[in-house]
Amino acid sequence: MISNRFGSYFVRSAVAVLVALGARSAVAQDARLTLIRDDATRDVVRQVLGAAIARGMPSDPLMSKALEGVAKKATPKRIREAMNALEGRMRRANELLAPTRSVDEMAAGADALYAGVPEKTLKLMRAAAPNRPIAMELGVLTEMVANGVPPKQASKMLLDLMAHGATGAQLTALGSAVQGDVAAGLKPDVALDLRGRGVMSLLPPPPSVNSLNPRGRP
Amino acid sequence: MIGEERDELIEQVAQVFAPLPRVNARATAQIMAAVRARAALRPSRLRLLLGSLREPSISMAAAGVLAAAALVIGFFTGDRVGVIDSTPAPVQVASNSVVAPLQHVDNSPDARMSNAVPVSIVFEARNAKSVTIVGDFNNWDETTSPLRRFGADGPWTVTVRATPGRHVYAFLVDGTTLVADPRAPRARDLDYGGDASVLMVTAP
Repeated sequence: MISNRFGSYFVRSAVAVLVALGARSAVAQDARLTLIRDDATRDVVRQVLGAAIARGMPSDPLMSKALEGVAKKATPKRIREAMNALEGRMRRANELLAPTRSVDEMAAGADALYAGVPEKTLKLMRAAAPNRPIAMELGVLTEMVANGVPPKQASKMLLDLMAHGATGAQLTALGSAVQGDVAAGLKPDVALDLRGRGVMSLLPPPPSVNSLNPRGRP
Repeated sequence: MIGEERDELIEQVAQVFAPLPRVNARATAQIMAAVRARAALRPSRLRLLLGSLREPSISMAAAGVLAAAALVIGFFTGDRVGVIDSTPAPVQVASNSVVAPLQHVDNSPDARMSNAVPVSIVFEARNAKSVTIVGDFNNWDETTSPLRRFGADGPWTVTVRATPGRHVYAFLVDGTTLVADPRAPRARDLDYGGDASVLMVTAP
């Protein structure tokens, strides 16, 4: 029993060391670090990124967040906080969008949570589209909420449209139309209702239970 | 009653598998010989690792220190460390939440950019001497996507490649000032503040 436990610790230790070394190596080789001229900022980014990679997180969105901070002349402390916050949101999005997901989806899910989209919505959207990427749909939802549409209403409309087979182009057009209406002075919820009905009228009804099971047997 | 049914089932299965054909000893020998020959040609990574450990470059004392350090790290990290894309089972992370490995999706930069579509962007800045676009699609790198002026004092234009979804970007005017795109929705940024715009990209 003790030897098994000892062996388990040894294996975990070896994995931990290898992961830490691998993460450090991966960060050290990232050419994007050279875009950061300030030494203190570069050290912070390298440190946060290495720790995140060792925890199994993808580096691209975090590096992008860091470089955005550099472009906006943020302090190293601010960049560290932003990267850590993004990592937390991506981890949560990863859980909600399981089991099929991509880095782009994780980042889009993190943005959606950041905008105020309910966590349950991410799960429902994954269930509505289990086998295809939904980064674009998440982006449309994020923008709607950012434009002032109540998150629950925006989530319901997006899910309804996805269930009816709305295409990415239709959803993007819907988002743009709502954004334009809001900019023109219409209330966000009214704009979504009107524009959403317009898109819905173009879509075929989803297959009903009866059509899938015409004899009505359980 | 159930036990009797199970016994009967097991007997039926056993009868089916009982008359298994004899293994051809010659074929077995040939397969094993091929496996040995292959192993002799290409040593495994484990052998290489063990072989390197036998090199005189690392002493037993150093190896002991490394092992002790690994044990200490492992003791404190416990189950909290995971590797992405390495095992099919979920792994634990520091906050006790689960980061499941990314499955069924090729997340390499090349694969992701293969889905990217070209997007043309226009920007009006009559008095600017140079304009570049920075955003999450080009790592906020001011050197990768300079805009070109259309005519002597016309608008600035550029075509970038971005994956389907929502992107945030801004223009860097004269290498110093970040400006949002007046033709695009504003991006709210609580992390850093500042002006930026949203670009929605649809799959073709």
